[in-house]
Amino acid sequence: MSYSKEDALSKARHDLAKRLGVKEQDVREGSVEETDFPDTSLGAGSDDEMSGQMITRGWRIKLQANNRTYEYRADRNQVRLYDFKGKNFLL
Amino acid sequence: MNRNNFLIHIALAVVLVLVAGFAGQLRRWQKEYKSRVRIMPAEEKIRSAATTAEVSEIEARTLTVPEVLVKFKPGVSESTIRGITAKFNDRVEDSIESVQGLEAIDDLDNADAVQTAAAYLALPEVEYAEPNYEISIEDFESNPVRPSDPRFTDQWALANDGQRGGTQGADISAMAAWSVTTGDDDVVIAVLDSGVDYTHPDLQNNIWQRPANVPKYVDDAAGTIQDLQGYNAITNDADPMDENGHGTHCAGIIGAEGGNDIGITGVNWKVRIMPLKFMNAGGFGTTKDAIEAINYVIDRKNKGVNVRVISASWGSTNRSQALEDVIKKAYEAGILFVAAAGNASTDNDRRPHYPSNYDVGNVISVAALDRNDQLASFSNWGAKHVAIAAPGAEILSTWLGDKYEEKSGTSMATPFVAGVAALIAANESRISVDELRKRVVTSVDKLDSLKSKVASGGRINAAKALGAQ
Repeated sequence: MSYSKEDALSKARHDLAKRLGVKEQDVREGSVEETDFPDTSLGAGSDDEMSGQMITRGWRIKLQANNRTYEYRADRNQVRLYDFKGKNFLL
Repeated sequence: MNRNNFLIHIALAVVLVLVAGFAGQLRRWQKEYKSRVRIMPAEEKIRSAATTAEVSEIEARTLTVPEVLVKFKPGVSESTIRGITAKFNDRVEDSIESVQGLEAIDDLDNADAVQTAAAYLALPEVEYAEPNYEISIEDFESNPVRPSDPRFTDQWALANDGQRGGTQGADISAMAAWSVTTGDDDVVIAVLDSGVDYTHPDLQNNIWQRPANVPKYVDDAAGTIQDLQGYNAITNDADPMDENGHGTHCAGIIGAEGGNDIGITGVNWKVRIMPLKFMNAGGFGTTKDAIEAINYVIDRKNKGVNVRVISASWGSTNRSQALEDVIKKAYEAGILFVAAAGNASTDNDRRPHYPSNYDVGNVISVAALDRNDQLASFSNWGAKHVAIAAPGAEILSTWLGDKYEEKSGTSMATPFVAGVAALIAANESRISVDELRKRVVTSVDKLDSLKSKVASGGRINAAKALGAQ
Protein backbone atom coordinates (compact mmCIF):
# COMPACT_ATOMS: atom_id res chain seq x y z
CA MET A 1 0.00 0.00 0.00
CA SER A 2 1.18 3.50 -0.79
CA TYR A 3 0.21 6.05 1.83
CA SER A 4 -0.59 9.71 1.37
CA LYS A 5 -0.16 12.08 4.30
CA GLU A 6 -3.90 11.94 4.91
CA ASP A 7 -3.94 8.13 4.78
CA ALA A 8 -1.09 7.97 7.29
CA LEU A 9 -2.78 10.45 9.63
CA SER A 10 -6.05 8.52 9.51
CA LYS A 11 -4.33 5.21 10.21
CA ALA A 12 -2.37 6.70 13.11
CA ARG A 13 -5.46 8.23 14.65
CA HIS A 14 -7.35 4.95 14.38
CA ASP A 15 -4.45 3.03 15.91
CA LEU A 16 -4.05 5.35 18.87
CA ALA A 17 -7.75 5.34 19.66
CA LYS A 18 -7.71 1.59 19.66
CA ARG A 19 -4.61 1.33 21.84
CA LEU A 20 -5.91 3.81 24.40
CA GLY A 21 -9.51 2.61 24.29
CA VAL A 22 -10.88 6.02 23.37
CA LYS A 23 -13.06 7.30 20.53
CA GLU A 24 -11.26 8.53 17.41
CA GLN A 25 -12.83 11.98 17.81
CA ASP A 26 -11.06 12.19 21.19
CA VAL A 27 -7.70 11.92 19.47
CA ARG A 28 -6.57 15.40 18.44
CA GLU A 29 -4.09 16.24 15.75
CA GLY A 30 -1.13 18.03 17.29
CA SER A 31 1.05 18.57 14.26
CA VAL A 32 2.11 16.95 11.02
CA GLU A 33 5.48 17.96 9.65
CA GLU A 34 7.51 16.72 6.72
CA THR A 35 10.97 15.66 7.86
CA ASP A 36 13.98 13.44 7.21
CA PHE A 37 14.31 10.22 9.18
CA PRO A 38 17.65 8.44 9.64
CA ASP A 39 16.76 5.16 8.01
CA THR A 40 14.13 3.26 6.07
CA SER A 41 12.42 2.26 9.33
CA LEU A 42 12.04 5.99 10.01
CA GLY A 43 14.22 5.77 13.11
CA ALA A 44 11.50 3.66 14.71
CA GLY A 45 12.61 0.13 13.99
CA SER A 46 11.27 -2.63 16.15
CA ASP A 47 13.37 -5.35 17.79
CA ASP A 48 14.90 -7.87 15.39
CA GLU A 49 14.48 -5.48 12.48
CA MET A 50 17.23 -4.34 10.15
CA SER A 51 16.75 -1.21 8.11
CA GLY A 52 18.44 0.49 5.19
CA GLN A 53 20.75 3.28 6.39
CA MET A 54 19.37 5.85 3.97
CA ILE A 55 17.90 9.20 4.91
CA THR A 56 14.18 8.82 4.28
CA ARG A 57 11.66 11.61 3.77
CA GLY A 58 8.40 11.21 5.64
CA TRP A 59 5.94 12.75 8.08
CA ARG A 60 6.20 13.16 11.82
CA ILE A 61 2.65 13.00 13.14
CA LYS A 62 1.93 14.12 16.69
CA LEU A 63 -1.40 13.17 18.19
CA GLN A 64 -2.85 14.11 21.55
CA ALA A 65 -5.15 12.10 23.76
CA ASN A 66 -5.67 11.76 27.51
CA ASN A 67 -3.51 14.87 28.00
CA ARG A 68 -0.50 13.17 26.46
CA THR A 69 1.29 13.47 23.10
CA TYR A 70 2.09 10.44 20.96
CA GLU A 71 4.39 10.35 17.96
CA TYR A 72 3.79 8.46 14.75
CA ARG A 73 6.16 8.35 11.82
CA ALA A 74 5.11 7.60 8.28
CA ASP A 75 6.17 7.62 4.67
CA ARG A 76 4.55 6.28 1.53
CA ASN A 77 5.46 2.71 2.56
CA GLN A 78 4.60 2.52 6.23
CA VAL A 79 3.17 4.01 9.42
CA ARG A 80 4.93 3.47 12.75
CA LEU A 81 4.26 4.34 16.36
CA TYR A 82 7.42 5.70 17.97
CA ASP A 83 8.50 5.04 21.54
CA PHE A 84 5.15 3.91 22.93
CA LYS A 85 5.86 2.61 26.43
CA GLY A 86 9.49 2.26 25.37
CA LYS A 87 8.83 0.33 22.17
CA ASN A 88 8.29 1.03 18.50
CA PHE A 89 5.48 -0.55 16.50
CA LEU A 90 4.94 -1.05 12.78
CA LEU A 91 1.23 -0.67 12.00
CA MET B 1 59.44 47.87 -47.10
CA ASN B 2 62.72 47.63 -49.03
CA ARG B 3 64.20 44.32 -50.21
CA ASN B 4 66.72 44.09 -47.28
CA ASN B 5 64.05 44.55 -44.60
CA PHE B 6 61.85 41.94 -46.26
CA LEU B 7 64.65 39.34 -46.16
CA ILE B 8 65.40 40.11 -42.49
CA HIS B 9 61.72 39.53 -41.59
CA ILE B 10 61.63 36.22 -43.48
CA ALA B 11 64.82 35.07 -41.71
CA LEU B 12 63.37 36.00 -38.29
CA ALA B 13 60.17 34.09 -39.03
CA VAL B 14 62.14 30.97 -39.98
CA VAL B 15 64.20 31.18 -36.78
CA LEU B 16 61.05 31.54 -34.66
CA VAL B 17 59.45 28.48 -36.28
CA LEU B 18 62.60 26.44 -35.66
CA VAL B 19 62.76 27.53 -32.00
CA ALA B 20 59.09 26.63 -31.47
CA GLY B 21 59.59 23.23 -33.07
CA PHE B 22 62.64 22.53 -30.92
CA ALA B 23 60.73 23.53 -27.78
CA GLY B 24 57.95 21.12 -28.67
CA GLN B 25 60.44 18.31 -29.16
CA LEU B 26 62.01 19.16 -25.81
CA ARG B 27 58.60 18.73 -24.13
CA ARG B 28 58.14 15.35 -25.82
CA TRP B 29 61.61 14.25 -24.71
CA GLN B 30 60.84 15.44 -21.18
CA LYS B 31 57.57 13.50 -21.15
CA GLU B 32 59.26 10.36 -22.41
CA TYR B 33 61.92 10.66 -19.72
CA LYS B 34 59.33 11.07 -16.98
CA SER B 35 57.33 8.12 -18.25
CA ARG B 36 60.30 5.88 -17.67
CA VAL B 37 59.87 6.18 -13.91
CA ARG B 38 58.78 2.70 -12.90
CA ILE B 39 56.47 2.58 -9.92
CA MET B 40 54.85 -0.83 -9.88
CA PRO B 41 57.13 -3.84 -9.94
CA ALA B 42 54.51 -6.20 -8.52
CA GLU B 43 53.44 -8.84 -11.00
CA GLU B 44 49.74 -8.48 -10.39
CA LYS B 45 49.60 -4.79 -11.04
CA ILE B 46 51.72 -4.91 -14.12
CA ARG B 47 49.76 -7.72 -15.67
CA SER B 48 46.38 -6.17 -15.05
CA ALA B 49 47.44 -2.73 -16.19
CA ALA B 50 48.64 -4.20 -19.43
CA THR B 51 45.49 -6.20 -19.99
CA THR B 52 43.22 -3.25 -19.36
CA ALA B 53 45.09 -1.07 -21.79
CA GLU B 54 42.14 -1.01 -24.18
CA VAL B 55 40.07 0.98 -21.72
CA SER B 56 42.66 2.74 -19.68
CA GLU B 57 44.72 4.00 -22.57
CA ILE B 58 47.82 3.52 -20.49
CA GLU B 59 50.94 3.58 -22.51
CA ALA B 60 52.78 0.44 -21.54
CA ARG B 61 56.27 0.28 -22.88
CA THR B 62 59.26 -1.83 -22.11
CA LEU B 63 62.05 -0.19 -20.24
CA THR B 64 65.11 1.13 -22.03
CA VAL B 65 67.09 -0.96 -19.56
CA PRO B 66 65.46 -4.36 -20.01
CA GLU B 67 64.01 -6.07 -17.03
CA VAL B 68 61.86 -9.14 -16.77
CA LEU B 69 59.64 -10.74 -14.16
CA VAL B 70 60.25 -14.46 -13.90
CA LYS B 71 58.26 -16.89 -11.81
CA PHE B 72 60.25 -20.02 -11.10
CA LYS B 73 58.43 -23.25 -10.41
CA PRO B 74 58.05 -24.41 -6.80
CA GLY B 75 61.10 -26.25 -5.58
CA VAL B 76 63.60 -24.40 -7.75
CA SER B 77 66.31 -23.38 -5.32
CA GLU B 78 67.84 -19.96 -4.92
CA SER B 79 71.23 -21.26 -6.05
CA THR B 80 69.69 -22.71 -9.24
CA ILE B 81 68.02 -19.36 -9.93
CA ARG B 82 71.30 -17.53 -9.47
CA GLY B 83 73.03 -20.02 -11.72
CA ILE B 84 70.49 -19.47 -14.48
CA THR B 85 70.67 -15.71 -14.27
CA ALA B 86 74.47 -15.78 -14.26
CA LYS B 87 74.41 -17.95 -17.40
CA PHE B 88 72.31 -15.29 -19.13
CA ASN B 89 74.58 -12.54 -17.76
CA ASP B 90 71.66 -11.26 -15.72
CA ARG B 91 71.18 -10.60 -12.06
CA VAL B 92 68.28 -10.93 -9.63
CA GLU B 93 67.37 -7.39 -8.73
CA ASP B 94 64.58 -8.21 -6.31
CA SER B 95 62.45 -11.05 -5.03
CA ILE B 96 58.69 -10.47 -4.80
CA GLU B 97 57.99 -11.88 -1.37
CA SER B 98 54.23 -12.19 -1.78
CA VAL B 99 54.57 -14.58 -4.73
CA GLN B 100 56.92 -17.45 -4.04
CA GLY B 101 59.50 -17.87 -6.79
CA LEU B 102 58.81 -14.53 -8.47
CA GLU B 103 62.01 -12.61 -9.28
CA ALA B 104 62.61 -9.25 -10.91
CA ILE B 105 65.65 -9.71 -13.12
CA ASP B 106 68.00 -7.18 -14.69
CA ASP B 107 69.51 -8.04 -18.04
CA LEU B 108 73.06 -6.68 -17.95
CA ASP B 109 73.37 -7.02 -21.74
CA ASN B 110 70.52 -4.59 -22.32
CA ALA B 111 68.84 -7.05 -24.65
CA ASP B 112 65.25 -6.71 -25.75
CA ALA B 113 62.96 -7.45 -22.78
CA VAL B 114 60.51 -9.51 -24.80
CA GLN B 115 63.31 -11.73 -26.11
CA THR B 116 64.82 -12.04 -22.64
CA ALA B 117 61.46 -13.11 -21.22
CA ALA B 118 61.11 -15.66 -24.03
CA ALA B 119 64.52 -17.10 -23.19
CA TYR B 120 63.49 -17.62 -19.58
CA LEU B 121 60.12 -19.02 -20.58
CA ALA B 122 61.86 -21.74 -22.57
CA LEU B 123 63.50 -23.11 -19.42
CA PRO B 124 61.88 -26.08 -17.65
CA GLU B 125 62.41 -24.40 -14.27
CA VAL B 126 60.25 -21.42 -15.23
CA GLU B 127 56.49 -21.18 -14.76
CA TYR B 128 56.13 -17.86 -16.57
CA ALA B 129 58.19 -14.87 -17.63
CA GLU B 130 57.18 -11.49 -18.91
CA PRO B 131 58.69 -8.10 -19.64
CA ASN B 132 58.48 -5.65 -16.82
CA TYR B 133 56.13 -3.19 -18.44
CA GLU B 134 56.70 0.37 -17.56
CA ILE B 135 53.83 2.32 -16.08
CA SER B 136 54.65 5.84 -15.10
CA ILE B 137 53.20 8.12 -12.51
CA GLU B 138 52.79 10.71 -15.20
CA ASP B 139 50.83 8.29 -17.35
CA PHE B 140 48.30 7.67 -14.61
CA GLU B 141 47.93 11.30 -13.77
CA SER B 142 47.85 12.60 -17.30
CA ASN B 143 45.51 9.91 -18.59
CA PRO B 144 42.58 9.91 -16.21
CA VAL B 145 39.79 7.84 -17.72
CA ARG B 146 36.51 9.66 -18.14
CA PRO B 147 33.44 7.60 -18.94
CA SER B 148 30.90 8.53 -21.61
CA ASP B 149 27.93 8.26 -19.24
CA PRO B 150 26.05 11.58 -19.59
CA ARG B 151 25.32 12.10 -15.87
CA PHE B 152 28.89 11.43 -14.78
CA THR B 153 29.28 15.16 -14.18
CA ASP B 154 26.73 14.85 -11.35
CA GLN B 155 28.70 12.07 -9.67
CA TRP B 156 30.78 14.24 -7.36
CA ALA B 157 31.88 11.23 -5.33
CA LEU B 158 33.77 9.87 -8.33
CA ALA B 159 35.11 13.16 -9.68
CA ASN B 160 34.54 16.26 -7.59
CA ASP B 161 35.11 19.36 -9.73
CA GLY B 162 33.64 21.60 -7.06
CA GLN B 163 30.17 21.24 -8.54
CA ARG B 164 27.25 22.53 -6.45
CA GLY B 165 29.46 24.09 -3.82
CA GLY B 166 31.68 21.07 -3.34
CA THR B 167 35.41 20.94 -2.85
CA GLN B 168 37.50 20.01 -5.82
CA GLY B 169 39.22 16.68 -5.26
CA ALA B 170 36.96 15.62 -2.40
CA ASP B 171 36.23 12.32 -4.13
CA ILE B 172 37.48 8.75 -4.29
CA SER B 173 39.92 9.46 -7.18
CA ALA B 174 38.02 7.16 -9.47
CA MET B 175 39.37 8.45 -12.78
CA ALA B 176 42.97 7.77 -11.81
CA ALA B 177 41.96 4.34 -10.52
CA TRP B 178 40.30 3.53 -13.84
CA SER B 179 43.68 3.98 -15.50
CA VAL B 180 44.54 0.68 -13.84
CA THR B 181 41.24 -1.17 -14.06
CA THR B 182 37.57 -0.44 -14.57
CA GLY B 183 36.57 -3.77 -13.05
CA ASP B 184 36.19 -7.32 -14.15
CA ASP B 185 33.11 -9.42 -14.75
CA ASP B 186 34.85 -12.31 -13.05
CA VAL B 187 34.40 -10.52 -9.73
CA VAL B 188 31.06 -11.07 -7.98
CA ILE B 189 29.82 -8.67 -5.33
CA ALA B 190 26.73 -9.55 -3.32
CA VAL B 191 24.33 -6.68 -2.69
CA LEU B 192 22.54 -7.83 0.44
CA ASP B 193 19.62 -5.44 0.54
CA SER B 194 16.06 -4.90 -0.69
CA GLY B 195 16.99 -6.75 -3.86
CA VAL B 196 18.04 -5.06 -7.09
CA ASP B 197 16.04 -3.97 -10.13
CA TYR B 198 17.93 -6.30 -12.42
CA THR B 199 16.09 -4.91 -15.46
CA HIS B 200 17.41 -1.37 -15.02
CA PRO B 201 19.15 -0.41 -18.30
CA ASP B 202 22.26 0.75 -16.44
CA LEU B 203 22.50 -2.45 -14.37
CA GLN B 204 21.20 -5.34 -16.46
CA ASN B 205 24.50 -6.11 -18.15
CA ASN B 206 26.31 -6.27 -14.82
CA ILE B 207 23.91 -8.60 -13.01
CA TRP B 208 25.29 -11.95 -11.95
CA GLN B 209 23.83 -15.03 -13.61
CA ARG B 210 24.36 -18.43 -12.09
CA PRO B 211 26.76 -20.27 -14.40
CA ALA B 212 25.56 -23.58 -15.79
CA ASN B 213 28.28 -25.46 -13.92
CA VAL B 214 27.09 -24.15 -10.53
CA PRO B 215 24.27 -26.26 -9.10
CA LYS B 216 20.91 -24.73 -8.14
CA TYR B 217 20.60 -23.58 -4.57
CA VAL B 218 19.15 -26.10 -2.15
CA ASP B 219 17.46 -24.64 0.91
CA ASP B 220 16.63 -26.96 3.77
CA ALA B 221 13.10 -25.60 4.06
CA ALA B 222 12.19 -24.69 0.48
CA GLY B 223 14.06 -27.41 -1.36
CA THR B 224 15.74 -26.71 -4.70
CA ILE B 225 15.57 -23.11 -5.87
CA GLN B 226 16.21 -22.06 -9.47
CA ASP B 227 18.48 -19.20 -8.50
CA LEU B 228 19.11 -17.74 -11.93
CA GLN B 229 20.24 -14.30 -10.71
CA GLY B 230 20.23 -14.14 -6.96
CA TYR B 231 17.97 -14.98 -4.07
CA ASN B 232 14.97 -13.68 -2.16
CA ALA B 233 15.24 -14.63 1.51
CA ILE B 234 11.83 -13.17 2.37
CA THR B 235 9.83 -15.44 0.11
CA ASN B 236 12.59 -18.04 -0.11
CA ASP B 237 12.54 -18.05 -3.88
CA ALA B 238 14.65 -17.01 -6.83
CA ASP B 239 13.29 -13.54 -7.53
CA PRO B 240 15.26 -10.73 -5.84
CA MET B 241 13.42 -7.87 -7.60
CA ASP B 242 13.68 -4.67 -5.59
CA GLU B 243 10.38 -3.08 -4.48
CA ASN B 244 11.91 -0.28 -2.42
CA GLY B 245 14.73 1.26 -4.45
CA HIS B 246 17.39 1.18 -1.73
CA GLY B 247 19.14 -1.92 -3.05
CA THR B 248 19.00 -0.67 -6.63
CA HIS B 249 20.63 2.59 -5.54
CA CYS B 250 23.44 0.76 -3.76
CA ALA B 251 23.94 -1.58 -6.73
CA GLY B 252 24.33 1.38 -9.08
CA ILE B 253 27.06 2.90 -6.92
CA ILE B 254 28.98 -0.37 -7.06
CA GLY B 255 28.43 -1.28 -10.65
CA ALA B 256 26.18 0.75 -12.94
CA GLU B 257 27.60 -0.09 -16.34
CA GLY B 258 30.28 2.41 -17.30
CA GLY B 259 30.95 3.85 -20.72
CA ASN B 260 27.57 2.80 -22.13
CA ASP B 261 26.43 6.34 -22.95
CA ILE B 262 23.49 6.16 -20.55
CA GLY B 263 22.93 7.47 -17.05
CA ILE B 264 25.77 7.08 -14.61
CA THR B 265 28.76 4.85 -14.03
CA GLY B 266 29.49 2.69 -11.03
CA VAL B 267 32.82 2.48 -9.24
CA ASN B 268 33.13 -0.65 -11.37
CA TRP B 269 32.23 -0.25 -15.04
CA LYS B 270 31.93 -3.98 -15.26
CA VAL B 271 31.39 -6.40 -12.40
CA ARG B 272 28.87 -9.06 -11.46
CA ILE B 273 26.26 -7.89 -8.97
CA MET B 274 24.54 -10.72 -7.11
CA PRO B 275 21.12 -9.37 -6.01
CA LEU B 276 19.94 -10.54 -2.61
CA LYS B 277 16.66 -9.52 -1.08
CA PHE B 278 15.93 -9.60 2.62
CA MET B 279 14.35 -6.17 3.04
CA ASN B 280 10.79 -5.58 1.81
CA ALA B 281 9.08 -2.74 -0.03
CA GLY B 282 9.32 -0.64 3.12
CA GLY B 283 13.09 -1.09 3.21
CA PHE B 284 13.34 -3.18 6.35
CA GLY B 285 13.81 -6.87 7.07
CA THR B 286 14.51 -9.40 9.77
CA THR B 287 17.81 -10.63 11.15
CA LYS B 288 16.79 -14.16 10.26
CA ASP B 289 16.33 -13.31 6.58
CA ALA B 290 19.67 -11.46 6.53
CA ILE B 291 21.29 -14.61 7.90
CA GLU B 292 19.52 -16.74 5.25
CA ALA B 293 20.82 -14.48 2.50
CA ILE B 294 24.40 -14.55 3.82
CA ASN B 295 24.13 -18.30 4.05
CA TYR B 296 23.16 -18.31 0.36
CA VAL B 297 26.25 -16.26 -0.53
CA ILE B 298 28.54 -18.62 1.38
CA ASP B 299 26.95 -21.61 -0.32
CA ARG B 300 27.45 -20.06 -3.76
CA LYS B 301 31.06 -19.23 -2.90
CA ASN B 302 31.66 -22.80 -1.80
CA LYS B 303 30.14 -24.00 -5.07
CA GLY B 304 32.70 -22.01 -7.07
CA VAL B 305 31.16 -18.55 -7.54
CA ASN B 306 33.85 -15.88 -7.15
CA VAL B 307 32.01 -13.80 -4.54
CA ARG B 308 34.58 -11.45 -3.01
CA VAL B 309 32.46 -8.88 -1.18
CA ILE B 310 29.11 -8.53 0.57
CA SER B 311 27.82 -4.96 0.62
CA ALA B 312 25.55 -4.41 3.63
CA SER B 313 23.94 -0.97 3.73
CA TRP B 314 21.72 -1.67 6.70
CA GLY B 315 21.73 -2.30 10.40
CA SER B 316 20.25 -1.69 13.82
CA THR B 317 21.37 -1.24 17.40
CA ASN B 318 20.32 -4.78 18.32
CA ARG B 319 23.12 -7.30 18.61
CA SER B 320 22.59 -10.77 17.21
CA GLN B 321 25.06 -13.54 17.97
CA ALA B 322 23.60 -15.58 15.11
CA LEU B 323 24.25 -12.77 12.62
CA GLU B 324 27.79 -12.37 13.90
CA ASP B 325 28.35 -16.11 13.58
CA VAL B 326 27.26 -16.21 9.94
CA ILE B 327 29.47 -13.20 9.14
CA LYS B 328 32.36 -15.17 10.66
CA LYS B 329 31.46 -18.01 8.31
CA ALA B 330 31.61 -15.57 5.41
CA TYR B 331 35.07 -14.52 6.63
CA GLU B 332 36.18 -18.15 6.68
CA ALA B 333 34.90 -18.44 3.11
CA GLY B 334 37.09 -15.48 2.10
CA ILE B 335 34.35 -12.89 1.71
CA LEU B 336 34.77 -9.26 2.76
CA PHE B 337 31.79 -7.75 4.61
CA VAL B 338 31.35 -3.99 4.17
CA ALA B 339 28.75 -2.47 6.48
CA ALA B 340 27.10 0.91 7.03
CA ALA B 341 28.05 2.64 10.28
CA GLY B 342 24.54 4.05 10.73
CA ASN B 343 22.80 7.42 10.51
CA ALA B 344 22.04 8.37 14.10
CA SER B 345 24.82 11.01 14.40
CA THR B 346 26.21 9.02 17.31
CA ASP B 347 29.47 7.44 18.41
CA ASN B 348 29.50 3.71 17.63
CA ASP B 349 32.18 3.16 20.28
CA ARG B 350 29.61 4.23 22.88
CA ARG B 351 26.35 3.16 21.24
CA PRO B 352 27.08 0.14 19.06
CA HIS B 353 25.52 -0.35 15.65
CA TYR B 354 25.35 -3.78 14.04
CA PRO B 355 26.53 -5.50 11.92
CA SER B 356 29.13 -2.75 11.44
CA ASN B 357 30.40 -3.10 15.02
CA TYR B 358 31.08 -6.83 14.95
CA ASP B 359 34.71 -7.53 15.73
CA VAL B 360 35.22 -9.96 12.87
CA GLY B 361 38.22 -9.84 10.56
CA ASN B 362 36.28 -9.26 7.35
CA VAL B 363 34.06 -6.39 8.56
CA ILE B 364 34.69 -2.84 7.38
CA SER B 365 32.46 -0.21 8.95
CA VAL B 366 31.84 2.87 6.80
CA ALA B 367 30.96 6.46 7.75
CA ALA B 368 29.61 9.04 5.29
CA LEU B 369 31.16 12.25 3.97
CA ASP B 370 29.59 15.21 2.24
CA ARG B 371 30.92 16.85 -0.93
CA ASN B 372 33.28 19.01 1.13
CA ASP B 373 35.06 16.13 2.86
CA GLN B 374 33.19 16.77 6.10
CA LEU B 375 31.59 13.99 8.10
CA ALA B 376 27.94 14.09 7.02
CA SER B 377 25.68 15.55 9.68
CA PHE B 378 23.74 12.30 9.99
CA SER B 379 26.70 9.91 9.99
CA ASN B 380 27.76 7.79 12.92
CA TRP B 381 31.44 7.67 13.73
CA GLY B 382 33.77 5.72 16.01
CA ALA B 383 37.52 5.95 16.44
CA LYS B 384 37.63 2.23 17.18
CA HIS B 385 34.59 0.72 15.51
CA VAL B 386 34.28 2.72 12.29
CA ALA B 387 37.11 1.93 9.90
CA ILE B 388 36.83 4.39 7.06
CA ALA B 389 34.72 7.09 5.46
CA ALA B 390 33.37 7.47 1.93
CA PRO B 391 31.06 9.86 0.09
CA GLY B 392 27.50 9.41 1.28
CA ALA B 393 25.53 12.63 0.82
CA GLU B 394 23.57 13.63 -2.29
CA ILE B 395 24.69 10.56 -4.19
CA LEU B 396 23.16 10.02 -7.62
CA SER B 397 22.45 6.43 -8.55
CA THR B 398 20.01 4.04 -10.17
CA TRP B 399 16.42 3.79 -8.93
CA LEU B 400 13.27 1.85 -9.67
CA GLY B 401 11.43 2.50 -12.93
CA ASP B 402 14.63 3.01 -14.96
CA LYS B 403 15.18 6.23 -13.02
CA TYR B 404 18.05 7.89 -11.16
CA GLU B 405 17.76 9.59 -7.79
CA GLU B 406 19.99 11.37 -5.29
CA LYS B 407 20.04 9.77 -1.85
CA SER B 408 22.04 10.22 1.34
CA GLY B 409 23.18 7.91 4.09
CA THR B 410 25.93 5.60 5.23
CA SER B 411 23.98 3.22 2.99
CA MET B 412 25.41 5.17 0.07
CA ALA B 413 28.94 5.36 1.49
CA THR B 414 29.12 1.60 1.98
CA PRO B 415 28.91 0.59 -1.70
CA PHE B 416 31.73 3.00 -2.59
CA VAL B 417 34.00 1.03 -0.28
CA ALA B 418 32.59 -2.31 -1.46
CA GLY B 419 33.08 -1.14 -5.03
CA VAL B 420 36.71 -0.21 -4.47
CA ALA B 421 37.27 -3.62 -2.89
CA ALA B 422 35.86 -5.18 -6.06
CA LEU B 423 38.25 -3.09 -8.18
CA ILE B 424 41.17 -4.37 -6.12
CA ALA B 425 39.94 -7.94 -6.53
CA ALA B 426 39.67 -7.34 -10.27
CA ASN B 427 43.26 -6.17 -10.34
CA GLU B 428 44.66 -8.78 -7.96
CA SER B 429 42.55 -11.87 -8.36
CA ARG B 430 44.47 -13.88 -5.74
CA ILE B 431 44.38 -11.31 -2.95
CA SER B 432 43.21 -12.79 0.34
CA VAL B 433 40.32 -11.37 2.33
CA ASP B 434 42.73 -10.18 5.03
CA GLU B 435 44.95 -8.43 2.50
CA LEU B 436 41.90 -6.97 0.77
CA ARG B 437 40.60 -5.48 3.98
CA LYS B 438 44.02 -4.12 4.87
CA ARG B 439 44.45 -2.58 1.43
CA VAL B 440 41.07 -0.86 1.61
CA VAL B 441 41.52 0.67 5.05
CA THR B 442 45.10 1.79 4.43
CA SER B 443 44.35 3.36 1.04
CA VAL B 444 42.94 6.59 2.37
CA ASP B 445 43.37 10.30 2.15
CA LYS B 446 43.78 11.42 5.74
CA LEU B 447 41.39 14.22 6.62
CA ASP B 448 41.41 16.59 9.57
CA SER B 449 37.64 16.22 9.73
CA LEU B 450 38.04 12.49 10.44
CA LYS B 451 40.66 12.67 13.17
CA SER B 452 39.38 10.67 16.15
CA LYS B 453 36.26 9.88 14.12
CA VAL B 454 37.27 6.81 12.12
CA ALA B 455 40.10 4.36 12.75
CA SER B 456 41.91 5.00 9.46
CA GLY B 457 41.45 8.76 9.78
CA GLY B 458 40.60 9.03 6.13
CA ARG B 459 38.44 8.87 3.05
CA ILE B 460 38.79 5.89 0.74
CA ASN B 461 40.99 6.52 -2.29
CA ALA B 462 40.49 4.06 -5.16
CA ALA B 463 43.62 5.19 -6.99
CA LYS B 464 45.80 4.57 -3.95
CA ALA B 465 44.17 1.19 -3.46
CA LEU B 466 45.26 0.24 -6.97
CA GLY B 467 48.72 1.74 -6.71
CA ALA B 468 47.94 4.54 -9.14
CA GLN B 469 48.81 7.31 -6.69
